Amino acid sequence: MIILTLNCGSSSVKYQLINTKNREKLAKGSVERIGMASSIISIATSNGKKKKLTKEILDHTAAIGAVLELMKDKDLKILKSFDEIDAVGHRVVHGGEEFKNSMLITKEVKDKLRENFKLAPLHNPPNLKGIEAAERVLAGRPHVGVFDTAFHSSMPKKAYIYALPYVFYKRYQIRRYGFHGTSHRYVSEHLTKFYKDGAKGKKIITAHIGNGASMAAIVDGKSVDTSMGFTPLEGLVMGSRCGDMDPAIILYIMGLQELSKSEADSLLNKHSGLMGISGLSGDVRDLEEEMEAGNKRAKLAMDVYCYRIRKYVGAYAAAMGGLDSLIFTAGVGENSSFLRKTVCEGLDFLGITLDKKKNEEKSGKARKISSEKSRVDVFVIPTDEELVIALDTEKIVKESKTT
Amino acid sequence: MKQNLVALVGTGTIAQGIALTLARNALDVIIYDENRAALKSAIDGMSFSIDREIEKWGMTENEKRAALSRIVTTTVKADLAQASVFFESKGEELEEKRDLMKKLDMISDDEALLIMTTTTISVTEVSKVLRNPARLIGLHFLHPVYKVPVVEVVKGHRTSSETVDATRKLLNTLDRQYIEVFEYPGYVTTRVILPLLNEAMHVLMEGLASAEDIDKAIRLGFDLSMGPLALADFIGLDVLLGWMESLFHELGEAKYRPCPLLRRHVREQKLGMKTLEGFFKYDKDGKKVSS
Repeated sequence: MIILTLNCGSSSVKYQLINTKNREKLAKGSVERIGMASSIISIATSNGKKKKLTKEILDHTAAIGAVLELMKDKDLKILKSFDEIDAVGHRVVHGGEEFKNSMLITKEVKDKLRENFKLAPLHNPPNLKGIEAAERVLAGRPHVGVFDTAFHSSMPKKAYIYALPYVFYKRYQIRRYGFHGTSHRYVSEHLTKFYKDGAKGKKIITAHIGNGASMAAIVDGKSVDTSMGFTPLEGLVMGSRCGDMDPAIILYIMGLQELSKSEADSLLNKHSGLMGISGLSGDVRDLEEEMEAGNKRAKLAMDVYCYRIRKYVGAYAAAMGGLDSLIFTAGVGENSSFLRKTVCEGLDFLGITLDKKKNEEKSGKARKISSEKSRVDVFVIPTDEELVIALDTEKIVKESKTT
Repeated sequence: MKQNLVALVGTGTIAQGIALTLARNALDVIIYDENRAALKSAIDGMSFSIDREIEKWGMTENEKRAALSRIVTTTVKADLAQASVFFESKGEELEEKRDLMKKLDMISDDEALLIMTTTTISVTEVSKVLRNPARLIGLHFLHPVYKVPVVEVVKGHRTSSETVDATRKLLNTLDRQYIEVFEYPGYVTTRVILPLLNEAMHVLMEGLASAEDIDKAIRLGFDLSMGPLALADFIGLDVLLGWMESLFHELGEAKYRPCPLLRRHVREQKLGMKTLEGFFKYDKDGKKVSS
């Protein structure tokens, strides 16, 4: 099947065109600055052709239309006709408690998504906008929603209930949802395919460390805990998000500096994390450079960053009562050997021993970086959320046709 | 007509706040004024406001660049023609507003939305000079515009329901709550707050308590974020005096008669936070200093 995957933000659309048969990425790219006079559309094909153009694109419908037109471009030769696209898979950030799996999008599903706006006010409205736009442009074929939260819906109650008055859960569905589910699922499934019994009996920790970062504890292929919570702010230190902290601090700061709710929100989400501690950058590559040049604040930021990940490794090993493998993925997790080394150092007692040389190797492929004697397998597995979206879409479309 | 382009006439504090609010919500803004220096100082003013916001963690440097990149200025009125929304925010003079709205009416697309900002001026009165009075509506913003989450929507007698709908949609985009009000001097916010501020000034003048203590009692007693005298300083005492005189004149009710203490402060050019002194003293950053 030829599947178009879409990830729609408030002023951007990221897309990939995937042939699920051979898993080939026929095209990928993005539209940025939607709603402005100078929107930027970019595309890259599997055979290395690239194109970038600037054009006025006022909404998501126009954006998706422009992308499709570009796929018919004579030089790029990706599609002859839109009819070749069999289905569309949409990334949706928040599935709430309703969506435990990917879903064929129907009117009911869209209504539910709208109800979930309050849970993800930044992400779900543009996600839905993208769905409605794609339905207009690519009418008459199935659309499927793949939810960031769905993989974590298997968490037991003890992992997702906060120690607040229970009424907040009952009345407002305030609980841990977790995010990056598609990524945690992809890398863990990628690994367990190689085990004799598959995921059965395996205890895995996945660390998705990108600009946003989260970890998950996975038993028998099911997420049993994850570090992001009600929102993506909880858990690990991130590029500009604080992650775990004493919640009283924010009340104290709000009083101290007379901050409004939105200022406090911006403080925690945009001014904190690596950016906040280092005062330099939220980008690990910059901080590693600065650190080598002797910048102490950059070093401190990285120390706090890695220490938090390490604590979660310990916590999740304890939560699962053991550990078979640890997977690093996403931008930083895949590329920073320093991070992996710092996190794993001295964890031999847990059975984690890295192969120094393998850890340093640069590669875009999935690879084992633990030493031969390491009881726990440590892997770097490049994530591919779009592939999951495409494969889920194919599966659901096939199922819906047979029923 | 460009759907995401908003034309704005005016360079004052409220105009700057409107421009920032629009740009922060991904709309492109073109500001017109005949005076180049006024445009320049409006841009500087917005840049300064954002810097204050960044200091208070409310925005980031990247967001500042993005917002300011959406705002352009012009001294040529015809440059506004492509806009789908026209905002007027230039003083509180009926004749001046009429004149300006008439010009905007002439250059704008028939489908464009015309918005005048108003505290006391009648939308119906202004709309009389337009080709199609149905597309004019009034909005009453409060200072600082980019922070106050509520706006009063003022319908004139001939404002159409389509115009009201388009305005609601715009305010939703701007993430603003709104209330609809009928034309009446002062609308809701100004009318209700003025007697409170005026009364606080009378209490101070009569020597019942110190300015500090009056504010403390009202702020803590009624769970407000600011006391009445600090709020008066924040709004600007000259602005308050103007509103009160206008309401007193229109409605003839004694409750809007400006307190003599307010007049005295304005005479002495103690206009509040902006002159670093009103009922309280302030430093350059607008922080209260103990006198």
